[in-house]
Amino acid sequence: MHFRFRGGGRGNGGAQLRSAAASAMLPALRRCWAALRPGPFPGAVLVPARGRKTRDDPPAKSKAGRIKVPPPVDPAELLVVQERYSQYYRVLRALRSEFRVEAGKKKRELLQEQEQQVTTDIQESLLAWNDTENERQWRRREERLRREEEELKKKKLQGAISQAKLVEDFMKQKEKEVLRLQEEAQTFITPENLDERIKQCLDNPQNYNFAIDKKQRIVRRTTLS
Amino acid sequence: MVQLGRVLRAVPGRARVVIRLAMRGCTNRPMLLLVAAHNWRARDGPFLEQLGCCDPMPNSHGEKVVGINMERLRHWLGTGACVSRPAEKLLGLAGFFPLHPMTITGAERLRKARAAEAARASEASAGPKEDAEE
Repeated sequence: MHFRFRGGGRGNGGAQLRSAAASAMLPALRRCWAALRPGPFPGAVLVPARGRKTRDDPPAKSKAGRIKVPPPVDPAELLVVQERYSQYYRVLRALRSEFRVEAGKKKRELLQEQEQQVTTDIQESLLAWNDTENERQWRRREERLRREEEELKKKKLQGAISQAKLVEDFMKQKEKEVLRLQEEAQTFITPENLDERIKQCLDNPQNYNFAIDKKQRIVRRTTLS
Repeated sequence: MVQLGRVLRAVPGRARVVIRLAMRGCTNRPMLLLVAAHNWRARDGPFLEQLGCCDPMPNSHGEKVVGINMERLRHWLGTGACVSRPAEKLLGLAGFFPLHPMTITGAERLRKARAAEAARASEASAGPKEDAEE
């Protein structure tokens, strides 16, 4: 059975582990725990690790006194390696901060671009709508103007016709009057036929006297005739 | 009656993005992919993005070819991704990161070991020669 180290502190962690092992683990393993010894460095505690064997199998007799030791460390090399690591992580942190700034800038630019795109889309759609509306209104206006022009023309025509008709009627009326007057003028007394008309009047005396009563009875024969 | 234990979430609360090497390929032909994946995913499982590839088997010219997408790598590092040790070493050798301390240390150790080996070999060859001369 393999044993591996766990740094459990100066015996405190080890004590806890031992108490847990004593209560929870099987008697077969208690024998292994009984052989527990402090490790090669302070705080080393032997902890069983599982491999091919289950928890019920006892460890091999050849492994009873085995203590796993970590690989030897050259202190000079360790110092150099630690210095190299600190430098390395310093450089890495600087790189990461640079990349973070870049990524933040890119993200902000992307968001700005998206917003701008949205606003430009809205603007374009509104302009397009405006154009269509303007066109529609222009067409309506054109229609209305055309209709008004036509109506005006028609009215003018009608007006001209009615005016012409009026003039014609007036002319006709005047012609009639003239004709009537001409006809009447034939019965006028002129200096030429004055004598004739006087003679006629004297020859044909007219009695304009008459009597009428309330019952509309007219009497023409009078005392004078 | 259901016993409520830990809350089951699609993404664990302590999720991290890690840039690491995933092994693809088939038997006797490995292929490594440099991927950005969540740390709780399997090594070869679904990843967020592939950032490069590394052919561990040398080609006809004796080269191990590696390809890395630097732009996307910078993006993921900028968004706070961790890098695994082998990936750090690979990026150090590629020149994107500084050389990893253990790469340098390993090279030094190897050099020392080879020097010691050469010294031992020369001592061994010098020893029998002296004995033969004597």
